[in-house]
Amino acid sequence: MFRLVVRRILLMLPLLWLIATATFLLMRLLPGGPFDAEKNLPPEIMANLKAKYHLDRPLLEQYGYYLQRLVKGDLGMSYKYLDRSVNDILSNAFPVSLVLGTVALILAISVGMPLGVVAATRRGTIVDALCMAVSTIGVSLPGFVMGALLIFVFGIWLKILPVALWESGWHIILPAITLACGPTAYIARLTRVSILQVFEMDWVRTARIKGQSYQQTIIKHVLRNALIPIVTVFGPLTAIIITGSFVVEYIYAIPGMGRFFVTAVSNRDYDLVVGTTLIFAVLLIVANTLVDIAYHMLDPRIQVDTL
Amino acid sequence: MWQIMSKGSTNSYLLVFALLSTLGITWLVFAGIRHKVTHEAGTLRLNLGAEPPSLDWAKATDATSFDVVSNIMVGLTAYTPNLSCAPACAGSWEISDKGRSYLFHIRPNVLWSDGKAVTAYDFEYAWRRLLDPKTAGPYAFFLYDVENAFEFNQGKLVDASKLGFKAIDARTFIVHLRRPAAYFLYLTAFSPTFPQRQDIIERYGDRWTEPGNLVSNGPFVLKQWQHEYKIELEQNPLYFGGTPLLKKIKMFMVPEQSTAFALYENNELDFIDNRSFPTSEVELYRKMNQHCPQYHETSLLRVNYLGFNVHKPPFDSIAVRKAISMAVDRQRLCRILRHGEKPISYLIPKPLLGFSPFDENLFNPAMARKFLASAGYPDGKNFPDVYLLYPHREDTRLLVEAIQDELKRNLNIHIDLVNQEWQVYLQTLRNNSPPIYRSAWGADYPDPETFMNLFTSHNGNNNTHWANSAYDQMVSKAACEINSATRAQLYKKADYFLCNQEVPIVPLNTAVQNVLIKPWVSGIELNALDLQFYSNVSVGD
Repeated sequence: MFRLVVRRILLMLPLLWLIATATFLLMRLLPGGPFDAEKNLPPEIMANLKAKYHLDRPLLEQYGYYLQRLVKGDLGMSYKYLDRSVNDILSNAFPVSLVLGTVALILAISVGMPLGVVAATRRGTIVDALCMAVSTIGVSLPGFVMGALLIFVFGIWLKILPVALWESGWHIILPAITLACGPTAYIARLTRVSILQVFEMDWVRTARIKGQSYQQTIIKHVLRNALIPIVTVFGPLTAIIITGSFVVEYIYAIPGMGRFFVTAVSNRDYDLVVGTTLIFAVLLIVANTLVDIAYHMLDPRIQVDTL
Repeated sequence: MWQIMSKGSTNSYLLVFALLSTLGITWLVFAGIRHKVTHEAGTLRLNLGAEPPSLDWAKATDATSFDVVSNIMVGLTAYTPNLSCAPACAGSWEISDKGRSYLFHIRPNVLWSDGKAVTAYDFEYAWRRLLDPKTAGPYAFFLYDVENAFEFNQGKLVDASKLGFKAIDARTFIVHLRRPAAYFLYLTAFSPTFPQRQDIIERYGDRWTEPGNLVSNGPFVLKQWQHEYKIELEQNPLYFGGTPLLKKIKMFMVPEQSTAFALYENNELDFIDNRSFPTSEVELYRKMNQHCPQYHETSLLRVNYLGFNVHKPPFDSIAVRKAISMAVDRQRLCRILRHGEKPISYLIPKPLLGFSPFDENLFNPAMARKFLASAGYPDGKNFPDVYLLYPHREDTRLLVEAIQDELKRNLNIHIDLVNQEWQVYLQTLRNNSPPIYRSAWGADYPDPETFMNLFTSHNGNNNTHWANSAYDQMVSKAACEINSATRAQLYKKADYFLCNQEVPIVPLNTAVQNVLIKPWVSGIELNALDLQFYSNVSVGD
């Protein structure tokens, strides 16, 4: 397992360099610049701005500057939020997304998996149909519709939960539910399919015939084997949820980092775009590494050294 | 296989789960567990809509930053509610040398929030810093009328002592202009020209605008700044104009309009404007206007217009441009936009000097068809394929679709509509402006010069590429004219020349600010510059 972790760290470095380089170049290929505004600035002013941020240098030189800072852990300066570094912006925003994402992930797993189990064990019945209907709705309804619905029902009509903002623990509930809806539905469907496949295995039949209780069979034999495909999606799912959702943070006015994935591009905030992309990449790699370790724990036949 | 599983136990779990959920929600609803929000006397809650890019007023260019800075700082002068200039840090001033020199006398009782006096040296430092090329202040050009300011900002002059302004002593600040500028006093009420503390900026560097570091001289001080979420201001007891009635202002950053509106309806915000007011709700409130004392609106000094690239056919023909201008029913366009926009015939909006009232006769489809025919396109025949460029926004789309329809009906010409993402649109406009495009211009200060200057030959924002030396001279003469009545006539003449004779643009309407104010809030005064000042606002019980 230690070798797996070391190998992943070593692989991560060139991968991150590749991602940073590709993003750096792609952003600069986009038409428009960070200082373009409805009111054009005089050329002299624009020249001063570009000089300050080294945007008047050749691309290769700009790239060299950027790499020099990157190896020291400096993700650069924001062109939109003047005098704020990308490190500063993300260190403020990421913990918020982390809290929201973690709550949403726990919700998605704790609701999605039991829903999938119930649907699988009650296959072909009205219960199965209801569970799958709920999960279909969760997948189909866009986040902004779900968010607006929840705000209206619980915030405005029943007035039992806050409409928006990020002031207290109560403020986490609606955004977490909104963020968890899609993943819950997806996990439920995946769990159901996975369990149904494992049900067909001989050892499950044998366990029941030998007198093991229903709950024990599910937990000890079915679930553990059904988890492999489910755990596979946890890697990317974790990275996506924990880095925040633009839609959810936008609707609920939450100061997370999800919004930067969109606004930084439209603002042509070059360094912020690369910074958010790198954070996402690191989280994805770490999450996938943990998933690989989880494979071995779930099924000792899977050797981590071969992953 | 699943039949082997127990049915009964699953049903029990489901039943228990459903029961608990129902009981839980019912309890929350009926046990009085409400997310109760009520206003707090002395605290104003509003929505900024977005994070201010910078509170360093030498670098800020956007309305969000100005909304904050305008309440924590004052300059040499300040705007009154009707946008004239009143004494602020400068208790008085003298204008001499035919409008080229200004001598400001700084009040002795204007203090920074740390107790030190505001001096003329603070203005001298701030203006030098604004013009310093290393600062890269985007709005440095506002001081280009000052002697040697342009050269210093370009880096051609390095000796700052040669700049045309100086602190003679702590109480006296003198400014020399290259030429008379009748609008100059307005610039001294504008954020980029506010004073700054050299010791604070040098001590804290880029972090000088963070709470605890920033010192200010306005009615409020910056207490807290949770980035991307909220700014809190507190009253400044040292403010020379008297301690404000408000103890605190909470400025949230809620980007989604409908969410902000929901917060207002839930009494979590006390005041909202266009940033938080969905169009469908504006329409509703406008209809209820008389019965809804919370609703207010005011026209802004912001003009929507169609621009022509006069180098691209068929808009290189004045007759075609006049035909388009006369074929568009501006009143109908305003009805479609639904915010209460006002139609305009000329560029200078009300109530600025040189404003000309809306001319209903400008909409004349019959005359428009004659102009089109005289240009070689009778009844729209052989009119080339052209496209109208607009930025990707809902209200803009409504406007251009209506214009497309008007031109089809009144002139029998078809114009394609092309939209681009905002940054792409700006770049297209700058590098290769299309035959016809929709644009807008908002005043930086309440003077017609900010509008009329836009279409002079060398203005970098003149995307029409129309260049006319006669117009340049008219505008330049008006800018230097000190007599208001003469100035008004000069601007009217230039405006008529621009919009009626040469027609490189078609002014359409002025924008409107729509606001809702809770009954417990008083003292909010709207103005056409859309600046919000809270020093006289109070929030009662």
